[in-house]
Amino acid sequence: MNTVLSRANSLFAFSLSVMAALTFGCFVTTAFKDRGVPVDIHVSKVMLKNVDDFTGPRERSDLGFLTFDLSADLQPIFDWNVKQLFLYLSAEYTTKSNSLNQVVLWDKIVLRGENTKLNLRDMKSKYFFFDDGNGLRSNKNITLSLSWNVVPNAGVLPLVGGSGQVSLPFPDAYETTKSY
Amino acid sequence: MLSIFKSIPSHMDYKGQKLAEQIFQGIILISAAIGFVYGLIVEQFGWTVYIVLAGFVVSCVLTLPPWPMYRKNPLSWQPLIPDISPESSQKPQETLKKKKHK
Repeated sequence: MNTVLSRANSLFAFSLSVMAALTFGCFVTTAFKDRGVPVDIHVSKVMLKNVDDFTGPRERSDLGFLTFDLSADLQPIFDWNVKQLFLYLSAEYTTKSNSLNQVVLWDKIVLRGENTKLNLRDMKSKYFFFDDGNGLRSNKNITLSLSWNVVPNAGVLPLVGGSGQVSLPFPDAYETTKSY
Repeated sequence: MLSIFKSIPSHMDYKGQKLAEQIFQGIILISAAIGFVYGLIVEQFGWTVYIVLAGFVVSCVLTLPPWPMYRKNPLSWQPLIPDISPESSQKPQETLKKKKHK
């Protein structure tokens, strides 16, 4: 504390410690918060094709096309420890070969300060809904659900599932049109 | 170059050092408390960081330069004892001077 440099050193170190304590406080104030909100998913159109999946097995695989509506109010999730949300819509189903299949169909990043009211109509899935065989045809229980990662300033990266899943049956026959 | 910087007196006396430490700790802790509450209210952690940084700058200005209020209690040195032998008179004088200027 006798010279300018030693004072600057202790001042800087003390400020950093205080900042770390504040960051921990920010984490503590939001650590036990429930970040689930109700989600409304509605599937308007289901189409099923049987095409070659060049990345997968040699046989033709089932490829589903979904058109869906999605609405949710994400405002309650945001607080001072949330930088962004990573939303993703996933399909979950059971086939003969696998008891649990999970496919991500669509995702979206909602940054802090952006519009938090999701109201999406007639959305097409972003990613291919390929099964690794023929498990989609006449599958009666394919569950769509929206989940999200909460990206915080400090602390854990929680994975939250939205309440409001929708289960739908897939058709028994393949579409034969060649337009993809 | 370095000697120029070293020739600038930057020292504080002991009470001044204690006072400076208490001042910067107080300012930073108070700004941290204000920033935490304000950030919690406006839901922006960035504001907390900015307010703590403002406290950091203020305490830098207040405690880094050796302001006169930190030099009010200088150590009263023992007056120079005149030496008997002229040969060894140089050495103790030098160490005394060094201590004074540090």
